[in-house]
Amino acid sequence: MQQETVWPTPMGDVTILRHCSVECIREYAFGDQFGSYAQYKSLYTHRDSLEDIASRKDTSVTLAVNDHTQIVGLGLLSPPEPDERWAGLGSGVMTEVKAVEVSRRWRKGRLARGILTALLFDPDIEERIIYMVGYSWTWDLDGSGLSAQEYRNMLIRLFTAFKFQELQTNEPNVCLKPENLFMGRIGSAVSEEIQKSFKWLRFGVAP
Amino acid sequence: MRYPKELVLKSGEEAIIRPLENTDRQLLVDFYQGIPSDDRWYLRYDFLDPEVLRKWFDDIDSGTVRSIVALSDDTIIAHASLYLRGFGSTTHVGRLRIMVAPRFRHKRLGTWMLLDLIQLALDMGLTDIRSDFVAEVEAAAIDAAFKLDFFKHATLKDYAKDPDGNRHDLVIMIKRLHRSWSDF
Repeated sequence: MQQETVWPTPMGDVTILRHCSVECIREYAFGDQFGSYAQYKSLYTHRDSLEDIASRKDTSVTLAVNDHTQIVGLGLLSPPEPDERWAGLGSGVMTEVKAVEVSRRWRKGRLARGILTALLFDPDIEERIIYMVGYSWTWDLDGSGLSAQEYRNMLIRLFTAFKFQELQTNEPNVCLKPENLFMGRIGSAVSEEIQKSFKWLRFGVAP
Repeated sequence: MRYPKELVLKSGEEAIIRPLENTDRQLLVDFYQGIPSDDRWYLRYDFLDPEVLRKWFDDIDSGTVRSIVALSDDTIIAHASLYLRGFGSTTHVGRLRIMVAPRFRHKRLGTWMLLDLIQLALDMGLTDIRSDFVAEVEAAAIDAAFKLDFFKHATLKDYAKDPDGNRHDLVIMIKRLHRSWSDF
């Protein structure tokens, strides 16, 4: 069920809409700051792609909207793709924070924290392993003025506040650059057996 | 950095990585006693010498060495260090050295230790990591370094001697740590 939260920022209040339906997404347009820059491209710039994701099973879209018209930030939670390593634990066990993005103009309002709060507000969260993969080549280093390592540490601080922890993995895409980051939040109701399987899966080793 | 870090090795054995602590002295001695003397020959320090060990731990306290260990069943199975100058023209460079217990070699443990030190170096703002290898003797380590984007910076011909007095080249390898990525 969709829920709304008002998130105050120095640039004005933003409404955070949790668990947006396709119909809800259609009411908004991307702000003009979502786009391509010299060194950075927004992960999502077309509403169609968001609608497509929102229509999938077990997927959750959270939007941050300005004046009830423009999307100024978004968050996506979805199961791993079937061909990804993380699908190996079986259906419904792992869920990825696939995106958390705030448009450049709205980045001083700790909006990412608000989006994550909404995204992870789920009664089943303690029964799942939520993970995020940070690929340094997707980070807006120019816009943030941070080095890749500083950006990485900023992400660690952000997600640690939501009980994520930095985890080691030999997943090849994560290993491509030392700045890349893999973090996971293991719910308190996740069985020891699944936790152990997850540990082995992270290292690509069969039990 | 957040420690301890869990690892599962290629063999399925589990280990953790954490910083070396002052209370680890005996564990470290036990570890180096298990390293073949031919391997210890190429180290920068003789960790079995109590006086060397004392000075070396003092260096950790003074911040000129950052050191991590891997443990399995409360036994040190690998030790890695990043040596820092702290002053002058090479403060941007960290020198690293890794030693893995023979039973745990070729199980990716050395790579995990190296990746952890790279993270540490990045956090400290270093821009170059240097590691020296004795040609032929440390061929496997040189291969591993290449795979992690180290490049051969210089070779000192016939610089090092093995325990039998035979001379070997010393290969100086460098890895650059970039602040950001450019387009390609």
